[in-house]
Amino acid sequence: MKDPYETLGVQRTDDEGAIRAAYRKLAKKHHPDVNPDKPDAATRFGEISSAYDLLSDKDKRGRFDRGEIDAEGHEVQQQRQYYRDTPGHEHYEPAGGFSQEDLEAFLAQAFGQAGRRSDWGATGRAMPGRDMQYSLTVSFVDAASGTTRRLALPDGKTLDVRIPPGTEDGHVLRLRGQGAPGFNGAPAGDARIEITVAPDPRFHRDGDDIISEVKVSLQEAVLGASLEVPTIHGPVRLSIPPGSGSGTRLRLRGKGIRKGHQFVQLQVFVPPGDEPELAAFLKTWTPRASFNPREGS
Amino acid sequence: MMRFTAVVALFPDLGERELLGWVARGWVRPEGIEPDWVFQEIDVARVRMIRDFRHAMEVPEETMPLVLSLLDQVYTLRGQMRAVARAVEGQPEAVRAGILAAIRG
Repeated sequence: MKDPYETLGVQRTDDEGAIRAAYRKLAKKHHPDVNPDKPDAATRFGEISSAYDLLSDKDKRGRFDRGEIDAEGHEVQQQRQYYRDTPGHEHYEPAGGFSQEDLEAFLAQAFGQAGRRSDWGATGRAMPGRDMQYSLTVSFVDAASGTTRRLALPDGKTLDVRIPPGTEDGHVLRLRGQGAPGFNGAPAGDARIEITVAPDPRFHRDGDDIISEVKVSLQEAVLGASLEVPTIHGPVRLSIPPGSGSGTRLRLRGKGIRKGHQFVQLQVFVPPGDEPELAAFLKTWTPRASFNPREGS
Repeated sequence: MMRFTAVVALFPDLGERELLGWVARGWVRPEGIEPDWVFQEIDVARVRMIRDFRHAMEVPEETMPLVLSLLDQVYTLRGQMRAVARAVEGQPEAVRAGILAAIRG
């Protein structure tokens, strides 16, 4: 322990009143409960208390002055618990004070301002913004023909995402500079958008060509027909030439992805149920050209 | 937790009447109803602190409400700051670095 007179900043000749005044002044300044941010305040306050404890006691002060005791032996152990280190301060939170809502409003305001400031952190080190990951599910038709989708970002902003024609399932679109903002002049991160393509029962994809099927009746297959079929560019009319069978592939020119086509495969359905007239006719019917579907054509 | 009499006994220079006055003014807020007050650890620590203010530092009685009001505001704000710090701590490294860079700026 230092010399108690030195600790209190008083002279050996100073009287009780002067010592007391010096102690009060130092205690106000160094009390740990009014210095919650200073861990060493407890040590400093302990020294001040010990010094005052010694010098405020006439008998002890006399013995110290005569060299009979030293400050060391007198040191008061300041093992007490201070208010600042005791849990449960919320019990004394001011009523109607700074509430959780206030905190949220405060943060919203702080971050709102931060977002608007372009000179934010001008003296810190440059750090690029990080990439932000998003995912977007688009329909088969949208992915095939291309579209623009608006993505709502968590921060309330929106991002218009152009999905190019023919985008495949699992493809990641990278939008430069649309991620988190950079700091101190560093570039913003990228937005990485993983595209999920929802399957469509009507279409399959083969490169840039679209494969679809159409069910036709026996009459339509034999006599020919004009049917409406879906394409990724909207419905179109398809001519079924007379005498088309199951597996016939009809091409819809330019109705695929980019320069691809759509191929429509026919599936011929024999009418369900009893058709005695058709059966009677087929029993007597001989095709003009001999034909066996199990032989190579 | 402690009873009123136990708290008084804890501090030789603190009389029953003085502590009663502190409770009456709301400087210390034990649970329960007189005379069955129960002082929690935080209440005892507060008694010790107020005793320092009044006895050691000789803060005038009429100044005490101001001192305690400011003190309670500081401790509340510190609690909120810790909550924010914990929230920041839970963020990814890039976010933490970004916030730090912003604060330093």
